Amino acid sequence: MSSEQDKELQALDLKIAKALQIDVPELRMPELPDIETANVSSLPAPKRSMKPVWFAIAATVVLATSISLKNSSLFQTYDSLADEVLAHLDHEPGAFRNVDVAVSDERLARAIPASLATFQRGESLITYAQPCVINGKDVPHLVIQGQYGPITILLMPYEEVAKEVALDGENVKGVILPVGKGSIAIIGDREERLEPIQKNVVNSVSWTT
Amino acid sequence: MNSSSAEGKRRQRFDSLVAVFHQDMYRFAAWLCRDKAIAEDVVQEALLRAWKSLDSLRDDAAAKHWLLTIVRRENARYFERRRLETVDIDNLTASQAALLAETPDREIDDLREAIFGLDDDYREPLVLQVLMGYSTNEIAEMMGLKQGAVLTRLHRARHKLKDSVAANE
Repeated sequence: MSSEQDKELQALDLKIAKALQIDVPELRMPELPDIETANVSSLPAPKRSMKPVWFAIAATVVLATSISLKNSSLFQTYDSLADEVLAHLDHEPGAFRNVDVAVSDERLARAIPASLATFQRGESLITYAQPCVINGKDVPHLVIQGQYGPITILLMPYEEVAKEVALDGENVKGVILPVGKGSIAIIGDREERLEPIQKNVVNSVSWTT
Repeated sequence: MNSSSAEGKRRQRFDSLVAVFHQDMYRFAAWLCRDKAIAEDVVQEALLRAWKSLDSLRDDAAAKHWLLTIVRRENARYFERRRLETVDIDNLTASQAALLAETPDREIDDLREAIFGLDDDYREPLVLQVLMGYSTNEIAEMMGLKQGAVLTRLHRARHKLKDSVAANE
């Protein structure tokens, strides 16, 4: 390219840069949820001597109509719901800290709004509860403490799966369970036995969408 | 460190990053979606997502790239959720037209309109390179393309804009 053409391109780029500098409106900060940092232990997951805490079994399961999302073209960034679920764990490192403090009922209610689902808390030690977004949908993100450390539970009333989907992460394993028109992901340490927890979690949740 | 102190530091860190990069986030969102109101919504959602995943940002030197990547994903999610129609250049909504508000410089106005009219595939890499200062390698990585494809798109974008400038002279 000649130096004349170079100069022309540089002049054009200067004008493009100027044209791209549109006015920016005043910043509107969204309401930022509390991120729990209290009583956090930085120690690695201990092997607890006690058995996993069980959920109380709900009396009945009520399933309401919700939006069904089977079109895989929705996963623009990830190849599948499973990939996005596992990636979500990387974005929530706070959820994996070991804590011995249960979240309050108020925090749990904020994480699981009545418009999405009802949840029977029972005897479980829930140490993390945040409203999250996966695939553009509202997803309550809970963590309970298992025998080998934190167990993540993602309640996905808008993500229908035809059958169980196995999850295989770097240091974790889990499953996405079909629940009516939605699904629930349960992920824990590779050593953790998730089967006893799965049934109780499913029986504790009712979609209200 | 007690909880309120840790939370305070976290919020301080977040506020500092937003103060520095908010304008970049908005301009990037605006040129992606070409709609003032949607850009504001996308930035809101991106800020919320960034707040929640702030702990995953290990090095503040990478904050700009991290935030713009979040904006890009939120823009894609926004359009996927709402299944909005693409922009009709000849029938802009008020919110779309607001991006093309007139400046005292007629040449810049015309160029802005020409950039607005570029296809997404050409407009995005141009914005990333000229406005955000990304290299073609970095743009390729962000958009999931080969560097050659990015170079081609940039070349075509500039070619179209050059023709547009010439036509208006």
